[in-house]
Amino acid sequence: MPSGDTDRIALLQGSLDLIVLQALRAMGPLHAYALATRLAQVADERLVLNQGTLYPALVRLEQKGWIKGRWGTTDSGREAKFYGITGPGLRALGRETERWRGLAGLVERLLAEGRS
Amino acid sequence: MIAALRRAVRRLGALVRRDDVEADARREIAAHLALVEEDYRRRGYADEAAARAARLAVGGVDQVLERHRDARSFAWLEDLRHDLGHACRAFVRAPGVAATATATLALGLGATTAVATVTGAVLLRPLPFGPAPERLVRLVASTPNPGADAPPRPVPVAVSLDEARALDAATDAIGGVGLWSPTVVALTGFDDAGHVGAARVSSSTLALLDAQPLVGRRFGPDDDAGDSGAALLGEAAWRRWFNADPAVVGRSLTVQTALGRRRSQTVVIVGVLPSRFTFPAADTALWLALPPAAGAEVIRAPLLARLAPGATTTAALDAIGPAVRAWRRHGRDVRLALVREQEQLVGPVRPALLVLTAAVAVLLLIAALNVTSLLLARALARDREFALRAALGASRGRLVRQSLAESLILGTAGGAAGLVVAAAGLAAFRRLASPLARIDLGSTGVGWGATAFPRLGDASLDATIVAAAFALAVVVGLGIGLAAAFSAGRAGVGASIRVGGATAAGGRAGRALRRGLVVAQVAGALPLLVGAVLLGRSLQHLAATDPGFSSGSVLTFQVALPAAAYPDARLQAFAETLAEGLRQRPGVRHAGYANQLPMVALRDTAGGLWTTPDASRAPAPDAADARLVSRDYLAAIGVDVIAGRGFAAGDGAGQPRVLLVNEALARRQFPGLDPIGRSAYVGRDTTPWTIVGVVADVRQFGLDRAPEPQFFVDLRQWHGGLPLFPTGAYFVVATDGRPESVVADLRALVRRLDAGAAVYNVARLDAIVASTLTRPRLYAVALAAFAGLGALLAAIGLYGVLACLVLERTAEIGVRRALGASRGAVLTLMLRQGAGLVALGIGFGLVAARGLERALASLLYGVEPGEATTTAAAVAFFVAVAALAVIVPARRAGRIDPLAAIRSE
Repeated sequence: MPSGDTDRIALLQGSLDLIVLQALRAMGPLHAYALATRLAQVADERLVLNQGTLYPALVRLEQKGWIKGRWGTTDSGREAKFYGITGPGLRALGRETERWRGLAGLVERLLAEGRS
Repeated sequence: MIAALRRAVRRLGALVRRDDVEADARREIAAHLALVEEDYRRRGYADEAAARAARLAVGGVDQVLERHRDARSFAWLEDLRHDLGHACRAFVRAPGVAATATATLALGLGATTAVATVTGAVLLRPLPFGPAPERLVRLVASTPNPGADAPPRPVPVAVSLDEARALDAATDAIGGVGLWSPTVVALTGFDDAGHVGAARVSSSTLALLDAQPLVGRRFGPDDDAGDSGAALLGEAAWRRWFNADPAVVGRSLTVQTALGRRRSQTVVIVGVLPSRFTFPAADTALWLALPPAAGAEVIRAPLLARLAPGATTTAALDAIGPAVRAWRRHGRDVRLALVREQEQLVGPVRPALLVLTAAVAVLLLIAALNVTSLLLARALARDREFALRAALGASRGRLVRQSLAESLILGTAGGAAGLVVAAAGLAAFRRLASPLARIDLGSTGVGWGATAFPRLGDASLDATIVAAAFALAVVVGLGIGLAAAFSAGRAGVGASIRVGGATAAGGRAGRALRRGLVVAQVAGALPLLVGAVLLGRSLQHLAATDPGFSSGSVLTFQVALPAAAYPDARLQAFAETLAEGLRQRPGVRHAGYANQLPMVALRDTAGGLWTTPDASRAPAPDAADARLVSRDYLAAIGVDVIAGRGFAAGDGAGQPRVLLVNEALARRQFPGLDPIGRSAYVGRDTTPWTIVGVVADVRQFGLDRAPEPQFFVDLRQWHGGLPLFPTGAYFVVATDGRPESVVADLRALVRRLDAGAAVYNVARLDAIVASTLTRPRLYAVALAAFAGLGALLAAIGLYGVLACLVLERTAEIGVRRALGASRGAVLTLMLRQGAGLVALGIGFGLVAARGLERALASLLYGVEPGEATTTAAAVAFFVAVAALAVIVPARRAGRIDPLAAIRSE
């Protein structure tokens, strides 16, 4: 339930956005299922993602103008909404990647300090 | 930053285009599920298995949609709209519940708003007298009166202007002094030539009070000598008599000062004071400069002072007390005090207002508990709905929000309806608080009785009050919602969908909570009832007090005469002719007149009555009250002659001078002796009077005040010295039938005697007596109303709990009946349930009642707090009401048909 899991979602929020943006940049426009499958592949099945949880991230990113959804058809002829990364999205990805790296580095350093 | 802004705009947009966005999202999720399903089918799943697997991987459409919604919009706002809509639909489905709850809250909130409006205006609002009005103080003295049952009444201490200035200069604790003295004047040259409230004030008093004239100027130091005859007009009088003409400044008025030395004075209007300037009383219409001194005479008047910032009344009194004591030759037993103006004005009504405020708060609490209980009952009834919604994805928070939305709607509806109740309550309060609006009955600061309610004119439902009332309604609504949601949660509502699910464990906790709420309501209602019984008995005692005269069929009135044409002698001749004419009318038993009526709030001693002559007698605070009466007056108002004789036809002018004393004066002046035949002296007059009779004591200044020493002089033998009728003669007519029946007759008679004369202040004597009970009646009625409502609500709560209980235990009762329990046994079972709740509530309530009784102590007359009879009456009343609420459902339980009950399970 949304209200009960705020902690976990807050933790995941930044990283999930980053992963989605990166996937869309690398793969081009994807629909939600394809995106979920792609994430599962990349994560080597370690990241077990309920596909429904993708939607809040997609809504958020689209409202920020970083991705854009368009209705289209899949290879098998079914309708689906395809999300593609936008110009602002690309710039944001750069910024967010930097920030993420900085944060990850900081955490890494802190953990290393604790070990020594 | 831009991204965040863009997102906020789109979230708002999603709120507006809700349906489009929702449809799109639904379509997208459905497409997603179809893709996953197809995938599974390709991997060899059967259709059904594929659909299930897809649902597992993605989640149900509704759950995902809920997340989608949360992210895309301001979920709480959308939820709120949804919740409010849902609540409204729920209320439409069950209008009875909504109406009951709204009405209950409206009564509670309305009563609270009305009382808070009055309390705020009377007790809290600063006086309209410039900055820091709380530092204004009056100097008063009180002399203990041994043997009197009431505490001594503080009287203002008068000083001269020079003395006042000396006091001001003597200490840093005082920053300004002024003199003031209330009076009554008659104005000539106006249509309604009655008396108006007036005040003599020094220029410094107006400065002290920051009086800002609408037009013209206020008094300056030059006016203090009194020779200029400066006068300030009140705004109301200015509008009424001068059409609000600014050119009124400079015009002169002829006033007859009713009290004091000068009988007629021409004054010049120098300005107009606004109606918010209410010193010394709300109906003061005219302010006059201090009177000019005649010869060596020194003008003295009560002292008003402003304390310096930070100074205490104690410090200021320590600084000026010794000097005042020396000047006024106060004895050791005289206590001086500086009383704050606000305290002086509203002190007498503060205890009652605080009690009423507390009582109305308890009433509001009872109403809120009642509605909580109602909502809780409905929540229990809707157990399955909540459980279902919880299972369908509504979070606990969402359910609490739902409950809050409902109670918020009830709260605001109750608040809005409560404003109507408050307006009605305020109007009723005003009506009850308005005695005969006459300056001679003490509605001004002049009198002793002060029967009217101070500062009530300031109480109105203004924007601040309305805003506060709605804020209170919202707070109460939220409180009820939280309490109901919390209790419902505790009771296990929404926790599960039980098989069959009607009555089970969830209900038990809910029932316990509802019983607790009912016990609390009973415990709240009982102190109100005890208080109402106390005040009611007190009022009954007051009303049953024998005033010493009979007022039932007596009409009183006054006659305004052109003052210039009526010196005292002619005035008396007129009065005698009028009385004689009235005696001739059919249906008139007696007709007489006097300088005063019982309950008229002016004291006139004529210097008092003493056993020894003293040509230079000083004014004494314990001087007996003088009544100048016509021969028939005592008979007309039914005062009994106890010993000796009354006035006779032979006691005319030139005959031996005789007078009557009352029992109180006989006891005080001639202890253990027979006063009849003894000589007595009035004031500084050294010619003796002979006492020929003793009359019964009359309660002169209020039914709750012990009779004071009085003596009676026949007007035919009175030689004057003082104005004969300071506030006009009071005529009394004792009739055989209704007193009002002679009004037309007497008006015609007066017109015949003098075409320029006007009859005013027409009132039955019993109405005048009743008007002294204005405040006790107001308090008793208000508290009785609150207590009645509280008891009613508690009884409704009790009924609700028991009715539910019967409903829930129908099956059990059926089994009992089937196993041989008699109808009576079932009835007893249910009655015991109700009696238990009532007893518990009464137990708690009696403890709380002790506190209220103590607070009421100062308002009581003839009853003591804590009397068993009071408590018994309150308990008996409540038990009678509660019995109805208990018996109806209990009888229904007794009538349950065992077979039908078991089958229904």
